[in-house]
Amino acid sequence: MNKVFDRYSSVCFALVGALFVIESRNISTSAYGSEVGPNMFPMGLGIILIILSLRLFWESTRGKAEGSAATGGKSLQYKRFLTIFAATLLYVYLLELVGYVIMTFLFLFVSFKVMGSKSYFKTTLVSFAFSVGVYYVYVHLLQGTLPGFPVWLGF
Amino acid sequence: MSTLQYLADGFYIAMQWHNLLYAFIGVLIGTAVGVLPGIGPMSGVALLMPVTASLTSGMNAEQAAASALILLAGVYYGAMYGGSTTSILLNTPGESSSVVTTLDGYQMAKQGRAGAALSIAAIGSFVAGVFALVALVFLAQPLSDLALEFGPAEYFSLMLLGLCAVSGLGGKSMTKALIMTVFGLLLATIGIDNVSGVARFTYDIPYLYQGLEFLTIAVGLFALGEVFKTILENDNSSKQLIKVGRILPSAKDLKQSAAPIARGSILGFFVGLLPGAGATLASFFSYILEKKWSKNPERFGKGAIEGVAGPESSNNAASGGAMIPLLTLGIPGSGTTAILMGALLMYNVQPGPLLFTDHPQVAWGLIASMFIGNLMLLALNMPLVKVFAKIIETPPHFLIPSIIAISVFGVYAVQITTFDLVLLVFCGLLGYFLSSNDFPLAPLVLGLVLGPMIENNMRRALTTSNGDFTIFLTKPLSLIFLGCAALWLIIPLILKGRGKEVVINEEA
Repeated sequence: MNKVFDRYSSVCFALVGALFVIESRNISTSAYGSEVGPNMFPMGLGIILIILSLRLFWESTRGKAEGSAATGGKSLQYKRFLTIFAATLLYVYLLELVGYVIMTFLFLFVSFKVMGSKSYFKTTLVSFAFSVGVYYVYVHLLQGTLPGFPVWLGF
Repeated sequence: MSTLQYLADGFYIAMQWHNLLYAFIGVLIGTAVGVLPGIGPMSGVALLMPVTASLTSGMNAEQAAASALILLAGVYYGAMYGGSTTSILLNTPGESSSVVTTLDGYQMAKQGRAGAALSIAAIGSFVAGVFALVALVFLAQPLSDLALEFGPAEYFSLMLLGLCAVSGLGGKSMTKALIMTVFGLLLATIGIDNVSGVARFTYDIPYLYQGLEFLTIAVGLFALGEVFKTILENDNSSKQLIKVGRILPSAKDLKQSAAPIARGSILGFFVGLLPGAGATLASFFSYILEKKWSKNPERFGKGAIEGVAGPESSNNAASGGAMIPLLTLGIPGSGTTAILMGALLMYNVQPGPLLFTDHPQVAWGLIASMFIGNLMLLALNMPLVKVFAKIIETPPHFLIPSIIAISVFGVYAVQITTFDLVLLVFCGLLGYFLSSNDFPLAPLVLGLVLGPMIENNMRRALTTSNGDFTIFLTKPLSLIFLGCAALWLIIPLILKGRGKEVVINEEA
């Protein structure tokens, strides 16, 4: 129970609700043969979301901040998380550009190391087996589509 | 044709060698998913959904759907078997429905009766699973017939009931659960409106026209969310694993646990039928029941075998029971069944009353394969329980990044866009922050799956009534559903107001 998070998230959800309400005013209000248009459902939901957010905001201001001890007790490993998160984002963005096998190998190698794998040999072996194995089985045996090797490598 | 004839046809489909293989892979992975802490049944099924989609891509639609469902359902009930293993050996539940098993299971393991506890859990799960299936076979037809009488107004109210039930029991704060439900429904409105063909909230981004892909969001929220959580919070401390001794339970153990297994099966099945009340709740209820029923309740918490047999049977029976509203009414009652429904919809198979007449292959093949799957699980879990206990020792530094890589592979294989991959990563981030602050994720997924259907039915009902909202109150069945929905939200509030503990269903 993190009251601060609750407060900010209630504001965010209220904004999301408001966005849907405002944007749904631009959608046509009737459909052919019906008095009920495609705008009504999202608009109604947006209004409900705003009301619920207000209630959450009210709940988060009431009550004491008793939850701070619960989350404060655990030490979070931000460095490890941010490295892997950044690696995942890079992986995802470069996947189509560099190709599946190379990117997956690099991503796995880096994150295995970050997560605390000791031996270089084992890390290389597992990441190699995973990336090549998945690519071979999926593309060659199951005839699926994955980004192959980049053209500029020359093969 | 009679029900038994249909069932025989189902067995014919389930016994095809590739379906046997899929069922086997499903229950094997399911057991592993249950054993590994950090991946629950929900993320397991979500993770495998794209993989099965690519595995079955060569078959025709009907067969592909049957095979995929056989595999995914295998993961679902397999996880119910596997979850008990870590509860008993490590005192760490592999998933939330095995939380109660730790109370007596770990104590039994400490007394050197780990093998007996594990095998009783497996036997109990088997009996309960078969019981739930038999009930499913006989209830499916009458319930489908009943559901065929429903018009759009009744459907809308019934779905609302499902959503309210899941939100009412969904987490520590009902407000948060309701917010997640509404948020899920709102996300479902993005894309082309399938009644009028108008584009909504797409902002001319081509990827958004077909809506946010359910698969991407489910994998992101559950699988990646849990992975991020483990990366951030896990301190890599390893616990001492208790050795498994003799596996077969003694005659006394069997005698003591026969009645709890029977009670747990029946109780769990009915709890599973209710929307919102899933396996976790069933196992809690069963534990409380066994404690009340027992002549000497002080033995509980100190290694009473009844405390393992009852809850483990009832969580399995509940997962079988939860299939009934999904298959006959088309309404998932929990997060995992919502994901199964998403998988069905991916194959253009609409769960609901017509499932049994339109796609008998899928429906009866699935039911028959669950019989076979349960048998496989019993065979797997009794002699191989020591092997599965080894899975716990998989080094997390290899496991965690692999899950990310599997998620990325799975989503890319089905969607083939970078947009979905980016969405996946951000859903993972969102999933972590929301679930670590007690926002339950199951209602969001449920909202996302039910969103288009609930909207269609509402608009169809309103079209027939010329925009008059009282149609939902004047149809008697619809009124009853709405009443139940309201009660589901109000009763927990009243109980909380009186200061009573309300049992909630974390996960689903």
